[in-house]
Amino acid sequence: MLEHYGTALALGIVGFLLMYAAFIIQKLVGPKNSTDVKLDTYECGEEPEGETWIQFNVRFYVIALIFIIFDIEVVFLFPWAVVFKDLGFLTFIEVFVFISILVVGLAYVWKKGDLQWVKMKLKYGTGRYSASNLLEKENLKEAA
Amino acid sequence: MNLSQIVQDLGFLTPEILLTGLILLAIIYDLFLTKETSIRTGYLAIAGMAIVLFSLFAQNVEASQGLFNQMVAYDGYARYFKIIITLATILVMWMSFQNDELKNRTIGEYYQLMLVLVFGMFFLVSATNMLSIYLSLEIVSIMSYLLAGYLKENLRSNESAIKYVVFGGVSSGIMLYGISLIYGLTGSLNIYEIQASLAANAAISPALLMLAFVLVFVGFGYKIAAVPFHFWTPDVYEGAPATITAFLSVAPKAAGFAVLLRFLNTTLTLSGDPNNIALESLSNLDWPTLLAGVSAITMTVGNVVALQQTNIKRMLAYSSIAHAGYMLMGVVVMHHNGVSAILYYAGIYTLMNLGAFFVAIYIKNAFNTETISDYTGLGYKAPMIGIAMAVFMFSLTGLPPTGGFVAKFYLFRGLVGVGDTFIWLAIVGLINGVVSLYYYLRVLYFMYFKEMNFPDVYHRAPLQFNILIVIIIIPLLFGWMIGDPLSTWTASATSFFVP
Repeated sequence: MLEHYGTALALGIVGFLLMYAAFIIQKLVGPKNSTDVKLDTYECGEEPEGETWIQFNVRFYVIALIFIIFDIEVVFLFPWAVVFKDLGFLTFIEVFVFISILVVGLAYVWKKGDLQWVKMKLKYGTGRYSASNLLEKENLKEAA
Repeated sequence: MNLSQIVQDLGFLTPEILLTGLILLAIIYDLFLTKETSIRTGYLAIAGMAIVLFSLFAQNVEASQGLFNQMVAYDGYARYFKIIITLATILVMWMSFQNDELKNRTIGEYYQLMLVLVFGMFFLVSATNMLSIYLSLEIVSIMSYLLAGYLKENLRSNESAIKYVVFGGVSSGIMLYGISLIYGLTGSLNIYEIQASLAANAAISPALLMLAFVLVFVGFGYKIAAVPFHFWTPDVYEGAPATITAFLSVAPKAAGFAVLLRFLNTTLTLSGDPNNIALESLSNLDWPTLLAGVSAITMTVGNVVALQQTNIKRMLAYSSIAHAGYMLMGVVVMHHNGVSAILYYAGIYTLMNLGAFFVAIYIKNAFNTETISDYTGLGYKAPMIGIAMAVFMFSLTGLPPTGGFVAKFYLFRGLVGVGDTFIWLAIVGLINGVVSLYYYLRVLYFMYFKEMNFPDVYHRAPLQFNILIVIIIIPLLFGWMIGDPLSTWTASATSFFVP
C-alpha cells in the first residue's frame, strides 16, 4: 500500500523539479531581446487597452453557468444513451424528468432575458465608454 | 443494487419529491409574475410546505431503512428534524411577508432559494454516506450564501455574503480533506462500513484518526457555528435580511446537529449502533472529551461576547453561538438521554429563537431601531411586543416556566446521568446560564424599567403578526405543562437506522 504512495511522491518531486528545470534552462540559454511588443499582453491580435483590473460584465458568469448546465446534461446523457437498450423504458422516464428540470432552467434564463447579449439599450454614461471619453479619443486620432 | 430497488426506494422519499415539484412549480409560476405580484410565489411556497409537512406526518417510520445503497436513511430521527425544519420554514416565510426589508423588490427568487435550502437540509439530516453528507452540506451552504446577499444594493448584505462564502469555502475544503483521510484509513465512504473498519482495525494510528476526525469536524462546526469556527456568524447575521438571519440561526443549525450526531454516534463508537443505551467511543479516540472542550469554549465565548453587544441582531447571533455550545453538551453524552435532549432542545430553540428574532424584526419595522438601548419604554408603549419579548428572553435564558427551562434541564440531566466524567462541563454550563441572564434581561430592563410611563395611545401590532407570535408562544409556554407532546416525539425519534 505505502509503496504506491512512494511512487506518487516520486512522480510529484520529479514533476516539480522538471518544471523549475525548464524555467532555469531557458533563463540561462534563451536569447534576451525583448521589445515592447513582445512584452505586451497577448490579446488575440487586439491592442490591449487600459488596466487589467476593470469591472467586467457580470453576464459573462451567467453565460458560463448556462453553459455548465447544458454541458453537464450531455455528460449524464451520454452514458445513459450507451446502456439505454439494456435498461428499458424506466430509464427513459428518469432522463425525461432530468431534462424537464433543466428545461425549467432554460425557461428561466429565457424569460429573464439572459439569452440575449444586448439586454437593454446601452447608455453611454460611465467609464471608458462614456460619450465624452469616446469623443476625446476621436479627437486625438484626428490630431495624430 | 438494481433499478427496481431504486424505484422502490423512491417511494420512501415522498416529502422530498413533493418538495422538488414545489421548487419547479415556484420557478415556473414566478416567470409569469411581475415585480409587484411576485409575492404570490411566497404564498405558493408556504402552501406547498404545508403539504410537505402533512406528507412527513403521514410517513410510517416504524421500519427504518437505508435508501439508495445506504446513501440516505429513512428513520424517525431524520423525520423529526425534517418536521422541525419544515415548521421553521413556514414560520419564517410567514414573517417574510411582513419584513419591510423585503418590500418593493422582486421577491420570487427569495422563496425559491429558501425551498432549495430546505431540500438540502432534508437530505443532510438523513445522509449516511460521506458523499451525500458533503453534497447536501454544500447545497445548504450555497443557498445560504445567496440568501445572505439577497439585499443586492445593501453593502452590509453584500459583505455578509462574501464573508460567508470565504469561510464556507475554506471550511468545506478542510472537511473534504478530512473525508479523504477517513477514506484512506478505512477504504469506505459509507458511515456503517467506516465504523466496522475502525472497530476491526485497532492498528489505525490514533493520531491520524484524530486528525481526520478534527478536519471533518471543521465542516460540521462551521455549520453549527461552534467556536473556533464561528467568526462568520455575527457579521452574516447582522448583514443578511433579518428573516434569513432568523432562519439561518435555527434550521441549518438543527440540520448540522442532526448530521453531526448521526455521524459521531454511528461512526466513532465501538458498537456502531446508536440505539444502544450506553455507547462507548472507540478505544483509541477520545472524541467526547474533545467535544466537551469545544462545547465549554463555545458557550463561554458566545455568552461573554454577547455581554458587550448593543445591536440586538449581533446579540442574538452570539447567543445562538452559546446555544450551540449548550447543545454540544448533549453530543458528548453518547446515550439515549443525550440524543433525546438534543432533539428536544432543537425543537424548543427553534421556537424561542425565531420568536426573539421576529419581535426584533417587528421593532425594526415599526420603530426603526436595532439598538437595544433604544427599546426604552417599549414594554409600555407596545404591551404585546413587550410581553412576547419577555417570554422569549426568559426562555432563551432557561428560566421556568418556559420551554427553554425544560429543554436545558433535559440536557443537564443527560450530562449528569453518565457519571462524574463531565460534571465539570455541567458546572461550566450552569455558570454560563448565569452570565446569559445579564444580557437577555438587559433587553427587558430597557423595555420596562429604564423609564416607566404609560402612554396615552398604545401601539398596536397588526393582527397577522400577533397571530404568528401567539402561535409560537403557546407551545413554548404551555407545551410542557400539557402532557409534553414534544418529549413523547423525541423519545420515539431517537431510533437511528442501523443496517
